[in-house]
Amino acid sequence: MTGHLRQFQLGDTETIEEVLTALTSRFPIATELEKTFRHLFFDSFDWRLYQAGMQLDEVSGRDLHHLVLRNLADDSPYETARLEGEVARFARDYPPGLLRERITEPLQMRTLLPIVEVRSRVVCLKLLDREEKTVLRLQLEENRAKPHGRAEYLPMTHLLRLLPVRGYDKYLDQVSRFLSDKVGLLPQSQPLIALSLASIGRQPMDYSSKLDFILHPEMSTDAVARVIFTTLLDTIEQNLPGTRGDLDSEFLHDLRVAVRRTRSALTQIKGVFSEAITNEYKERFAWIGQITGPTRDLDVYLLGFDEYRKSLPEQFQADLEPLHDFLVSHQKSEQQALVRKINSPHFHTLLKSWRTFLNSPSEPGSEGDHAQKPISKVARKRIYRTFRLVLEEGLAIHPHSQPEELHELRKSCKKLRYLLEFFQSLYPKEEIRPLIKTLKSLLDNLGDYQDLEVQADKLREFAHQMVEEGEVPADTLLAMGMLVDGLLKRQQEARVAFADRFACFADPAPVESYNKLFGPGKKSPKSAGAKS
Amino acid sequence: MRIIGVYNIKGGVGKTAAAVNLAYLSAEAGYRTLVWDLDPQGAASYYFRIKPRVKGGGRKMIKGKRDLDELIKGSDFDNLDLLPADFSYRNMDLMLGETKGPVKQLLKLMRPLSMEYDRIFLDCPPSISLVSENIFRAADALMVPTIPTTLSLRTYEQLVEFLDGHKVMDVKRMPFFSMLDRRKKMHLEMLEDLPKAYPEMLKTPIPYASDVERMGFHRAPLGSFAPRSPAGLAYAELWKELEAGLAA
Repeated sequence: MTGHLRQFQLGDTETIEEVLTALTSRFPIATELEKTFRHLFFDSFDWRLYQAGMQLDEVSGRDLHHLVLRNLADDSPYETARLEGEVARFARDYPPGLLRERITEPLQMRTLLPIVEVRSRVVCLKLLDREEKTVLRLQLEENRAKPHGRAEYLPMTHLLRLLPVRGYDKYLDQVSRFLSDKVGLLPQSQPLIALSLASIGRQPMDYSSKLDFILHPEMSTDAVARVIFTTLLDTIEQNLPGTRGDLDSEFLHDLRVAVRRTRSALTQIKGVFSEAITNEYKERFAWIGQITGPTRDLDVYLLGFDEYRKSLPEQFQADLEPLHDFLVSHQKSEQQALVRKINSPHFHTLLKSWRTFLNSPSEPGSEGDHAQKPISKVARKRIYRTFRLVLEEGLAIHPHSQPEELHELRKSCKKLRYLLEFFQSLYPKEEIRPLIKTLKSLLDNLGDYQDLEVQADKLREFAHQMVEEGEVPADTLLAMGMLVDGLLKRQQEARVAFADRFACFADPAPVESYNKLFGPGKKSPKSAGAKS
Repeated sequence: MRIIGVYNIKGGVGKTAAAVNLAYLSAEAGYRTLVWDLDPQGAASYYFRIKPRVKGGGRKMIKGKRDLDELIKGSDFDNLDLLPADFSYRNMDLMLGETKGPVKQLLKLMRPLSMEYDRIFLDCPPSISLVSENIFRAADALMVPTIPTTLSLRTYEQLVEFLDGHKVMDVKRMPFFSMLDRRKKMHLEMLEDLPKAYPEMLKTPIPYASDVERMGFHRAPLGSFAPRSPAGLAYAELWKELEAGLAA
């Protein structure tokens, strides 16, 4: 049965006794043995299962060790698997089956991490009908929770959960009504994972790499810049442990994106900090970009390897295996080098001094000309100017333009995208979202055009490197040649598709939107009808 | 989804006990299992303490006007549900006869359940009729409890003739010895001879046991109250043979 969760919240132990007495005096109820379970909830660092409406629960008890994928809304299990050893961390490590099918799409390349552990002492009750048939199950749960890996359990809500038996819904309604009307229990609609997180002081979705600043038009540019930079710095720091441990490729990716956004914001939000400060940190963050690049490049090849393999005719697919080995071993050594660098005092000092700077009040003289201007004004001007630049550069591109011109356009588009994302809360959602979407689609195209060529070049480089490093089968080099050919073909397709993508961006409707939202003469963006 | 018919032309051969006990073992092994009590006497429903009654009557259901899905009842055991019997099933032959594809109607009704269940056990009424033909055509395997006597042998021969005569080829025949009494000479002789004539005979015999009769007192499958009893162990072995046969 699906629908919402039928559970009630209990107070302290005294109420458990009271509820038991109330129930048994009113209904024919049998008590079963008391059991103890441990639930360990898993999700990716960025809550991909939760976002997909699922929870993955490792349940252990006496003679029982299961992995249960449940519906978040009503706790009903989608799939249950018996566990022999530990919970597999990547979707690809699961045996083929429905559980794997369900988690593969949301999880993609992300690893599962243990998030919160719950210990439940459960008293199982059953409501019997005249035939002494079980028509409803009730579970009184005394729960405690702790962050995974900690020793101490913290108190959490005790629950009375009603588990309907198929075909006997009327008893569920009867008992529900009795519990809320006569016993006065409060319904609790949150699933166990959310309740346990609350008790350890966390909440679901407390990490996201997406930008979601809530800004007000009157805020000073200085204040807004500090909010943006601090959030990005938080993201960098949150991803450090996962990057160090190479838990999955996306920790490093999110870290790099946050660094790139920081650098872009330093350039884009002009005149907030003094020029000396701006230039200093631009340079220092560029260093992080450099030291993390080689590992990310190899991650990208490894992530795309299956696609590479599938792009070749079947009889040549196995020839790529030595390339895979090459990528894996180089990724490992680059990763080690990366860890040494992010553990260095240099790296540590950079983040620390940046945070100190962001936390310290701005002193007169240390700030730029725009620091005290309202963000609405500065954002509008910056976005509009960058938009005009993108439009100008894009319109100048013709079928025979040099690749460099498209690369320049890509850079400008990226700047515009970051600006729109930083400041989106200043504008009506329904107006700014379509603009970001169209821009993203254009950026994807420009990204393909540039990246496919870079990948092709890099593969040739790898081929040379493999030859230098030792014996490499001729078949492998030939297969890599086929890959290069495929990449370049796709790159040309991307070039052909550019005109259409840009036309969508430069269409009168979006241009009108840009003019309306950011064009000269617009004083306060919220006055354009934004919902607060 | 695999459909297992438990059937014999003759009554009183341990059919319902086999259906209920095998279904219990299947559910315990983690298969989402349904028992469909097709016998108007409703013995399987009784064992599960579920009223032998279908909401709205059997006719609507057989004609496909009510989804089976809505009529299913949960048993007291995980993964194990029951579609109860109904007294109107005594006229099921007539009801089936009124449908468009009378010999495949039950299969048609069960198809939508394939996402929900891994195993469906059909507890079938005795005698050869349109109901049994439906079962032959729906089932992947036909479990035939056979008491080791000459009379039972004759009814199994009749069944084989019927299946061959009606070109029912897709169902795996799985006769097995039921209610074996090792004190009886004839039982022991049949135990020896029958597999020679019918190599499809499963190896595990179910002994005649008071534990099986106690199912009526406990109103529960044997596995839930006496799993280690001789009959309990025999059903567990038989279930393994059934699964191996389905996998082959």
